[in-house]
Amino acid sequence: MERLLQYVFDGLSLGSIYALLALGLVVVFRGTGHLNFAQGEMAMICTFFTWQFHAWGLPLVVSVLLGMVAGFVLGAGVEVSLIRRVAKKSEAGVFVVSIAMFLGFNSLAGMIWGNLPPEEMPSLFPDEPDDFVRIFGAVWRYEYIGIMIVALLLMGLLFLLFAKTKFGLAMRAVASNPESARLVGIPTGVVLAASWGIAAAMGALSGAMVGGLAGELTSLLMFTPFIYASASATLGGFDSPGGAVIAGLLIGVGEQLAAGYAPGWIGQELRLGVALVTIFVVLLFKPSGLFGSTKVERV
Amino acid sequence: MMKINHGSPQHWALRTLGVALIALIIVWVPTQMSTSRIGQFSDAFVLIIAAMSLNLVLGFTGQISIGHSAFFGIGGYTAAILIKDHGWSPGYTFYAAAALAFVVGCLIALPALRIKGIYLALVTLAVAVLFPTLVKWKKLAWLTDGAKGIDSVRYDELPVWPILGELKGRDGRAVFAYWLAFVLLVVTYLVCRGLVKSRFGRSLVAIRDNETAAAVMGVNLTVTKVLVFGVSAALCALAGVLSTLRTGVITPEGQYVTLLGSIVFLLIMVVGGAGTLWGPIVGGLVYVWLDNTTRGFGSESDGVGGFLFGWSDQSPATLILGLALVIIMFVAPYGLVGLIKRLWVKVVVVVPKPAGTSLPTTGQ
Amino acid sequence: MSLLSITDLAAGYGPLEVLHGFDLQVNQGEIVVILGANGAGKTTTMRAISGMIPRRGRIVFDGQDISSSSPDSIVRLGIAQVPQGRGTFADLTVEDNMLAGAYIRRDEVLADVERWFDVFPRLRERRSQRAGSLSGGEQQMLAIARALMSRPRLLLCDEPSLGLAPLITQELFGVLKKLNAEEGLSILLVEQNANLALKVAHRVYLLETGNVVSSGSAAELAADDSIRKAYLGS
Repeated sequence: MERLLQYVFDGLSLGSIYALLALGLVVVFRGTGHLNFAQGEMAMICTFFTWQFHAWGLPLVVSVLLGMVAGFVLGAGVEVSLIRRVAKKSEAGVFVVSIAMFLGFNSLAGMIWGNLPPEEMPSLFPDEPDDFVRIFGAVWRYEYIGIMIVALLLMGLLFLLFAKTKFGLAMRAVASNPESARLVGIPTGVVLAASWGIAAAMGALSGAMVGGLAGELTSLLMFTPFIYASASATLGGFDSPGGAVIAGLLIGVGEQLAAGYAPGWIGQELRLGVALVTIFVVLLFKPSGLFGSTKVERV
Repeated sequence: MMKINHGSPQHWALRTLGVALIALIIVWVPTQMSTSRIGQFSDAFVLIIAAMSLNLVLGFTGQISIGHSAFFGIGGYTAAILIKDHGWSPGYTFYAAAALAFVVGCLIALPALRIKGIYLALVTLAVAVLFPTLVKWKKLAWLTDGAKGIDSVRYDELPVWPILGELKGRDGRAVFAYWLAFVLLVVTYLVCRGLVKSRFGRSLVAIRDNETAAAVMGVNLTVTKVLVFGVSAALCALAGVLSTLRTGVITPEGQYVTLLGSIVFLLIMVVGGAGTLWGPIVGGLVYVWLDNTTRGFGSESDGVGGFLFGWSDQSPATLILGLALVIIMFVAPYGLVGLIKRLWVKVVVVVPKPAGTSLPTTGQ
Repeated sequence: MSLLSITDLAAGYGPLEVLHGFDLQVNQGEIVVILGANGAGKTTTMRAISGMIPRRGRIVFDGQDISSSSPDSIVRLGIAQVPQGRGTFADLTVEDNMLAGAYIRRDEVLADVERWFDVFPRLRERRSQRAGSLSGGEQQMLAIARALMSRPRLLLCDEPSLGLAPLITQELFGVLKKLNAEEGLSILLVEQNANLALKVAHRVYLLETGNVVSSGSAAELAADDSIRKAYLGS
């Protein structure tokens, strides 16, 4: 029983990171119809920014917030300068550009910081070996709890933004019908840039959390989280923010269960396989995911 | 601007000049350059073959794949396992790897038929990530040697090829690998060219431009897509085999075995010119040249170390490639080949023979 | 008094020129109709006025030159468009559609929402429903209400009768006529359905392959035999 609970706890915490990152993918997809292949790498480079701010003496929380701001600027900047222009020429081009960014940011991070030994990335939450709480015999580390709470909080804020604010309405309108959005006077350019910016900022936070968990920072940091996030967005439906969150948590818990109950077969190595198989199965049988609506085939 | 008539003596002279120039370079490299340079060319050829295979699927048929690194890996691992554990002679491993990759490619293509766009990209992404994950899986370690990869793949006897004579030792091996790679490159080029210029090739382009219309015109979507994917996978596997033979090592984090490899293939293809036969060649050469000239800027990582540590601290070549790609998207959407064609037309124009009684038109 | 004055309007899509340079005017308080067959350039004209496509020529709205203004600034100045095919935000609720229409306004808009629900009671019944689930006629009403939420002085309507049953169409045109009469809302209407359009219009322009070939009061054009044959089928 406590083993099950353990897996569920761990799964929920990790899953909320996947959900956060997946939400970024969904926000961009809903707003612009594109899959930001570089979401993970952008998050990674923002995490390096965060580390750098901290290394320069700023408190960690401030550094993380600055990293998120940097992410917003980066995301919006990329949309305005690159994506927007390429999208005018060809939809396929946007995908190729985001792949180029994947490689580019990966390379850039490696070049700027890569020559240093594995970074020591502190965690936002207390992460000493004895920082945990016992619930029914299962261990829930403060760090894991903290991650989950912060992630869910941010996601909650995002949903509030969508549902209750005027700008959120504008974002939903642009996602629904960009032409009509222009006709009612919504500045679609601003909305698109903001979508990318928000997604990148969320990525930056996920990166900080993943970094804190891992304890070290390399340019490969967000590679597997990106795969998990893609699987979550696929499972939930690329145009369903709620779906991304639920799917992220499901996948998080699911892989913990799979790894835990089948250590010989799946174990830690094939954990990622759970996400990959999910992608296969969903796309083969229900490409729109659990909660998604349309099958957009733009590229 | 010179105008030359198609089939005229000047035209033939131009063509002969071009071929002679290429032949000169090809022969000059292994005979005049250092062993490491020869090795670089061999690596370039390997990359080009992989990019050409991807071009069939993506450039000509319009199906996104970022999973070709898996086929590369299948090729490389098949060769390594067969040679090291089963004592196969290297020559036959090409066939085995190609056959296996063909089957796997067809199997993957079957479900992929129904999905398009980013969803297809995601499926191929999953394939690309799944391969190294499977290779490292404990349950398969008996086959793949797990995370550390297979090394010391040696073939001690170098066949004696005419003209080349006896090749011995490390230098000899490098020259042999070079020629092997070149021959395979030519074979791949001819296969691609033959396919593209045939009726099959036209149906590929038809699918790329408008699937529904293609189906209406009688193209069997299923068979065509599956076949082209299989052939593409087989060709990519050949590149993988070459890589193993050349370096004697294959690892799951190796240069082109991971997702990053798929991405490099794709970017090279696009930078060179997607949907053109020479695109991957130009793109591959440019990339390898970039990689080698900028290698000194980053940290050192040559030989086995470079392969084992993948991309974690690397030369700026990939960054530059990424930037180049973005620039190309705006400046030359048809890639470098398209750009070269546009510039070339300012110098020389080959006027095609007039068809029947219609007036001759300029342009290529 | 001229509200919208268009001179020498030319526009197209890439290399394809659709509008070849014509003049058009809408006066304060008028309902002006542009009649034309498919491909005449009616929708292109609407899009050009709203700033959705690049255009050449001079467009002056209430004294301001909007020939190269952006779509959102044009909405702010007081022109709202009901696009062809409704263009509702299908994923949003009816109420959210209305609120989106008022995006440019900074004042309290809820009273207006209720007001338009009074005019279109069927929308009130469905206020929390997803707009995409409404019938064609209801979506058209919603599109009109949404456009009116921005308190425009000029309403552009692109083929409002398209795909609608005659009864609904009459109801809609009735609403438009009433708004024009009671509140002085100027309307530029583009239509293929000449019969109905001529009944509500003050003046009519005839558009054929990107050129205005004829214009005049509705009465004049209705009496013209050649036009009757071409557009009214009698």
